[in-house]
Amino acid sequence: MSYKKKDKLYFHQSFLLIVIYKMMTGLTYLPSLNIPPANQDVWIMLLVSIPYTMIYSLPLLFLSNKFCNYDFLESAELIMGKRLGKIIGIYYSLFFLTNLIFFSGGFIEILDASLYDETPTIVNTLILLFTCAYLVNKGIMNLVRLTELTIPFIIILFFILALLGIDNYDFQTFLPILSDSKFGEINKGALLTTIGYIDILILRMLTTYLDDKSKINRLFVSSLIFSTVMIILSVLVVQATLGIEYAKRVNFPYYTFTRLITIGETQGFDLLYVVAWIIGNVIKASGYLYFTTIALGKVTNKKNQVFIIPVALIATIAIVYIKDNRPILAVRDPYQQMIHVFAFIGVLVIPLMALIVYFFRRDKIKSTINSKEQ
Amino acid sequence: MKKKIMVLIFYMIAVISLTGCFDANELDELGISLILGFDVVEDKLLITAEVVDPQYSSSSSDTGEGSTVKYVQGIGNTVFEAFRDITLKFDRRIYAAHNKVLIFGEELARSGLITHIDQLFRDREQRESAFMLIAKGARAYEVMGVNSGLETVPANYILDLIKNINNNPKSIDTNIISYMQHYYHEGHHPIVGVIEKKRKNVIDKTSEDKGSEEYELSIIGSAIFRKDKLIGYLNGNDTKAVNYLLNNIENGIITFPIFNSSEEKVQSEGLPTNVSSVNVIKGKTKNDIEINGDKVILKTKINIRAALGELIAKTDVSNEEDIRRLEDACSKTVEVNIESAVKKVQQEYGTDIFGFGMAFHHKYPKQWEKIKENWDEIFKDAEFQIEVKTSIIRTGLINKPTI
Repeated sequence: MSYKKKDKLYFHQSFLLIVIYKMMTGLTYLPSLNIPPANQDVWIMLLVSIPYTMIYSLPLLFLSNKFCNYDFLESAELIMGKRLGKIIGIYYSLFFLTNLIFFSGGFIEILDASLYDETPTIVNTLILLFTCAYLVNKGIMNLVRLTELTIPFIIILFFILALLGIDNYDFQTFLPILSDSKFGEINKGALLTTIGYIDILILRMLTTYLDDKSKINRLFVSSLIFSTVMIILSVLVVQATLGIEYAKRVNFPYYTFTRLITIGETQGFDLLYVVAWIIGNVIKASGYLYFTTIALGKVTNKKNQVFIIPVALIATIAIVYIKDNRPILAVRDPYQQMIHVFAFIGVLVIPLMALIVYFFRRDKIKSTINSKEQ
Repeated sequence: MKKKIMVLIFYMIAVISLTGCFDANELDELGISLILGFDVVEDKLLITAEVVDPQYSSSSSDTGEGSTVKYVQGIGNTVFEAFRDITLKFDRRIYAAHNKVLIFGEELARSGLITHIDQLFRDREQRESAFMLIAKGARAYEVMGVNSGLETVPANYILDLIKNINNNPKSIDTNIISYMQHYYHEGHHPIVGVIEKKRKNVIDKTSEDKGSEEYELSIIGSAIFRKDKLIGYLNGNDTKAVNYLLNNIENGIITFPIFNSSEEKVQSEGLPTNVSSVNVIKGKTKNDIEINGDKVILKTKINIRAALGELIAKTDVSNEEDIRRLEDACSKTVEVNIESAVKKVQQEYGTDIFGFGMAFHHKYPKQWEKIKENWDEIFKDAEFQIEVKTSIIRTGLINKPTI
């Protein structure tokens, strides 16, 4: 096993680790603003995406409950057989690695654009990935403890910034409600949002560590609702401050929103946001790095620590190569499409296939599990 | 042991190579600009920056020698190029993060702002909260450098003038972000503040400094835009009316005539009598639209809460009836002024700067889709109805007038 048996995650720890994934997307480039209907009804589209996401995540959620003592890759081997299980393991290794590269690349791009425009990409990348490598080197508990300490601070800060920006809000922006959007547009947007949802994979990777495995469904539903509400709040404050159209043109809308907060003569509240944002992103990137090495460890039957530095180096080279050739966030395709296809296969297609096979082979799988446990 | 040594070597390399910050901004290498002026000169963009002079100290201030700021100019095909042009004439890099005001020359504003100021949105140093002003009938650099206030820094003088909208809403305080909101709004064209250099009466004959002291800046009025092109100006009273319609009234006075009887009139010669001034404590406006057959009616309801500031009439404010008469007279004046401003904008410019298009969109979203391209034409011919209700809630330290 690449994780220690004593590593146990409590509900609130897992909850915070999961919600930070979606929340940081909102606090970074808020893609929902440009997803259909891309107008004042975006918040409704996000609400509609909640039931879609629940349905979309059902196969993986079912497997998480059924195989809660086995991580996803172990359960894939149990269900699909050793060879296919290994192939699935390689797929998820690549999936998490791709996410690590493009997410970190986006993070570095924002740092370049908004804070350190003269710092070479490689310096920012090395600092980020070696911090992440150090964090995950001793297992998931380091990461979880950092999460437990910092994410509540980020969440509280999020609400404080929303309150501080109240003078800039124009609530007329949100009118008329549901008049400019077609039913199809809202559903299309909700589906696109759903396809970008990968938090269920994070939950699946964490299930073996969970202290109380009976709360998997509760953890999934509560983290999904909470993170969606946080994204909705981000959308509302950004649109109310920047207006619908200008918000769509801004690369880092939440950052621009914080730049506009002024109390009397005092400005510079964006500094608070940047601190929270960097911490959140380091945790998110560390998670991707950790899950990549865990998947590689399962495929090769080695400890995940062996892969931490090599994966961090591969990611560094890839980020520097991509970033020094083109922007990631402004020109999102084809990277964004690639990530979406990867996510769709990883969250729905593979788990659905595993589920179908499980129903055909469930007696055999049960006996294998029983013999393993005896 | 070998691993620990490797880690130690790595950290030592990191510590040595990361001690300096690539993006360090040393204060003695920056030229902190507080106001930027933008003009078109011979088909090129001319930028004028008011830069704080760090040499100016409190002792210089006491002796009245020197200036707190210096002015530098750069020219180029783009804003970015013009900024870099400054570096060939001025020893410090212009640092724009403290910009408070952006002044645009009239010629540039007439040719279209958004096309030329992309850099102000793209560059992280620029602040979206900076106020915008149009140099009425002048170039931006012509109005810069005038300081007839008590502030030692001219930028702060201009900034304070803009903030005085809280006392007198005859001007507009549009910043970049609110300009952009209106620029993209369908049915609400932007309106921006103006700035003018005016000769003033020299009262202090003892002053030897006759430089900028003969001039003062005035920000009365506003500039009307159709999308990003300047198309005209409004005077102070019309701008005040616009502020009422935009629900942008926090303070300010209303002066109105009072007629106790049909015979009484405001004196046509000499100082007026039978007039009163109230100070607005709170104003609340609601714009609405009604469609009556083919006719579009623009409707506005304004509630004003005010304090009596001055009364030059034989009116007893301890009398309920007299208070009502004052309130009605005040409401009537506001109605007439706003009606006149709306009519002027409809007839002269045909551009909806009041946001009635947005009210139409909110109330009739389906019809809006069909008419939004022609909204300005519809606005031009629309009927305007206004209802103002004034409540005088304070009467000051005396009740009966002194006359």
